[in-house]
Amino acid sequence: MSHWPTLEFVLGLAMHRQIRSPWQKFKQLKRGYFSLLILTGLIVLSCFAELIFNSKALLVSYQDELYWPIFSDSIEGKQFGLDYEYETNYRQLKKTWQMDSSNHNNFVILPLVPFNPTEVDLLDGLYPPHAPSIENQHYLGTDTIGRDVLVRLVYGFRIAIFFAITLLIVEYLVGVFIGCFMGFLGGAFDLFFQRIIEVWSNIPFLYIVMIMSSLITPGFWSLVLIMALFGWMSMTWYMRSASYKEANRDYVLAAKMMGASNFRIIYKHIIPNSISTIITFIPFSVAGGITALTALDFLSFGLPAPAPSWGELLKQGVDNLDYPWIISSVVISLSFVLMLVTFIGEAIREIFDPKHKVYYE
Amino acid sequence: MNNTHTGQNMIGLSLFEPRNDSKEYGQLAFMLIFLIILITPCSSQAAKLPEGLTWLTNNASPEWSSAQAEKGGLVRLNISSFPPTLRTVGPDSNNSFRSFLLDNQLPLVEMHPNSGEIIPVLASHWAYDDDRKTVYYKIKPHARWSDGKPITADDFIFALKFNRSKSIVAPWYNKHYSEEVVDIIKYDPLTIAVIGARAKPQQDLHYYYSIQPRAKHFHQLDKNWVNRYNWKIEPNSGAYQVGKIRKGKSIEFLRKTNWWAQEDRYLRHRFNADQVLVKVVRDPNTAFKYFERGELDIFNLTLPKLWHEKSNSPMFQKGFIHKLSFYNQTEQSASGLFLNLENKKLQDINVRKAIAHGLNFNKIIKQLLRNDYQRLPSFHTGYGDYSNTDIKPLSFDLTKVSELLNKSNWKEKDSRGIRIKGKQRLSFNLSYGNKLHEAQIIVLAEEAKKAGIELKPQYLESTSFYKNVIEKKHDIAWLGWSTGFRPAYWQHFHSDNAHKPQTNNITNFANKEIDDLINQYRLSTYEQERIHLAHTIEKNIADESIFIPSTMVPFTRAGFWRWLKLPDSIATKSSKSLFDPFNPTTGGLFWIDAKVKIDSLSAKRSGNGFESSSVINTDYKN
Repeated sequence: MSHWPTLEFVLGLAMHRQIRSPWQKFKQLKRGYFSLLILTGLIVLSCFAELIFNSKALLVSYQDELYWPIFSDSIEGKQFGLDYEYETNYRQLKKTWQMDSSNHNNFVILPLVPFNPTEVDLLDGLYPPHAPSIENQHYLGTDTIGRDVLVRLVYGFRIAIFFAITLLIVEYLVGVFIGCFMGFLGGAFDLFFQRIIEVWSNIPFLYIVMIMSSLITPGFWSLVLIMALFGWMSMTWYMRSASYKEANRDYVLAAKMMGASNFRIIYKHIIPNSISTIITFIPFSVAGGITALTALDFLSFGLPAPAPSWGELLKQGVDNLDYPWIISSVVISLSFVLMLVTFIGEAIREIFDPKHKVYYE
Repeated sequence: MNNTHTGQNMIGLSLFEPRNDSKEYGQLAFMLIFLIILITPCSSQAAKLPEGLTWLTNNASPEWSSAQAEKGGLVRLNISSFPPTLRTVGPDSNNSFRSFLLDNQLPLVEMHPNSGEIIPVLASHWAYDDDRKTVYYKIKPHARWSDGKPITADDFIFALKFNRSKSIVAPWYNKHYSEEVVDIIKYDPLTIAVIGARAKPQQDLHYYYSIQPRAKHFHQLDKNWVNRYNWKIEPNSGAYQVGKIRKGKSIEFLRKTNWWAQEDRYLRHRFNADQVLVKVVRDPNTAFKYFERGELDIFNLTLPKLWHEKSNSPMFQKGFIHKLSFYNQTEQSASGLFLNLENKKLQDINVRKAIAHGLNFNKIIKQLLRNDYQRLPSFHTGYGDYSNTDIKPLSFDLTKVSELLNKSNWKEKDSRGIRIKGKQRLSFNLSYGNKLHEAQIIVLAEEAKKAGIELKPQYLESTSFYKNVIEKKHDIAWLGWSTGFRPAYWQHFHSDNAHKPQTNNITNFANKEIDDLINQYRLSTYEQERIHLAHTIEKNIADESIFIPSTMVPFTRAGFWRWLKLPDSIATKSSKSLFDPFNPTTGGLFWIDAKVKIDSLSAKRSGNGFESSSVINTDYKN
């Protein structure tokens, strides 16, 4: 037992070295580094979208009392002296109070873009889609139904990125472990899964999704599940070869000799040592996840309407080229995000490039 | 009148007629046996026409075409996809192109598009049997197939055999022509009788039992029929026959030079263009561009966006393309919200009425549909005398919603302003299968929130939507039914079809008293009685608020290049399209003014223009 700490220490050091030095290298690759900063910023921002893009007011002061509609239950119009018993229309309330010259104390603070993603804004005498306008606060215009394009882009981005990340986690969990076991155990297990994967990857994914979505209404999680079901195979090949290679290394043999279980060897030793393979693929998988969801939404097999979605916006844009603000907003956003992800991916590949390393057997 | 489909379809989805009840099968079997006994001994000799028949014809109704119509010219239309076959029955035949072919297969008689009287087409005379099931027809002696052969009684008898044949691989036709049409009897080469399975009012007999002939000399019914006849041009009786086919691109129809019916009353001065070219343009936006460039002559402008926005382009402003909107009085699709009574909350009539009062259709009509569309008053609208015009749809009224919901103890509201009763929320899924309606549904749902009712829009891909609805798994479904010839209550509202999947009673409505009325309506063979029953049933159904009517389009409108001319009356009361090229009742009214076309084209080249024209005809506006 006395050997354990020593071994752990050595391995830990190795891991430490592998992780720390790449991060420093990554920081030096400015394009990838800034892309990562921007993307992280966007994700964090989208998490707080309700505070910036919302039809509810941030703060209402009425008769010296403060209300926080975003954080509270729905507040009926009569609470603010209006003549209706349903949820207050804060945009209208603000206008009413601004027009009312006798009003001095009451005020409404609206979020930056005062619309929610499924809300249809019908302007008098105009029919959607509305062109971009600062006056109407539709900064990127509205879609053909009258919903704010910017707001739908933001909420759609949040769904797409979290979808891609969730999909990635599920796919990698399955793919990495099966791949590692295939490489590590070899033999019948390896052969069996090789055949399974070969057969499985030949099933046309799009047809399956079409059939599935005719049987059930796909939701966020069911879509993740369906896509993971057909997406876990890609990682297995890489992990299989990685673990095949690692399995014959001395440290693995040493661990085996000391009686470590197969799972422990894979989890504690093989995966950390092939982490570069996994990390390199992550950004491309994220990009893949986003495009897959967008493509499915574009074909109406993705998330059910009226969920905000880039694919749906793209479809609208393509069908309505006369209203260029729809197509241009979504194409620019999509290209921008995919570009960020690709820059990050390139940077990661760069730092793990074996050409920059020297290996000692 | 060619439409013998009695089961209604959800729009855009094909749905076969629900099975009839077993009692009718019993009747049918009995009748078949009876007929076999009746016919067998006589089979060696020709059937004898019953005595005392009163032969009717109609040469007195006004014609609706224009005597000024000139023959000649070319007209170009578009369809969105190339047909997978030229057959009109069998696999893949139910496509949008089929009507072009079927409209050129004339029926025995038609209904006058304005007055509804029976008028002769293939038959010159008709007579009714006292059994109220049989109609006798005399075929016009000069009726000819497109290959010049005469149309005779044998072609009708063959048509029945054809439609019952397994070779055509068309189960609906097999079933319909076995169960609804009992037999066709030939008395002489030009006289036949069609025997229907059930007694009906006289006018209805023509609709349900009128059968189109099939050229006996052309078809060879065997197991290869489907493949062999995929691209064969079937002889027809109409004014046009298929000409050059460019696969994937276009299909040409050519006017028959010496068409047998061109001097017949009701058919003369119609079907004037020499050539009708049907082009395939997949994308509607591209098709509109083609139209503006003058590569298509006609474009349907029913969608508000097309009529109000897109048609403000130079070719319209310079008067090259004219706009015409025409109010008609056709059967309206029963479209709106269908409330499923299997949902406990919806079993309460107060809740149903509250939902009806909580839907702001006026806002939709005004702010989304540009006041073009109208509120649909009731399930069966536009069925002539059969429609109960006293019914008015419930209007948006929050006070009434409040009263109704309070009455049923939905008094409290939750944090989102939705009414609650104990742990229950007043929340329903509103499923729909067509994205075109999304805007309307979202606005309705937003407005319903004001009433404390949550309607969660749930878009389902059309097949799964259909499945969901026909298995009655929906809370509230948004859809429209295709129209029929007469109001159809049994399939939609009879308890026979409630609480079981695969029937058209998607509200699961079951009420003993209304069942009785529906049964009476089905059995009655007297028109006045049926009309009275229809009004009563319609009123009862409206009072139940299981169906909340949405909107209707009581007009048809189109854009067309200025050389296309229409009669002074423009179109008919029952015209569903202004420039239908082939429809035996309402089609082929337009003609091409060759001189105007030459002038227009030279003006277009020289950059000149004409006065713009946008006409709205309200002759048949209610």
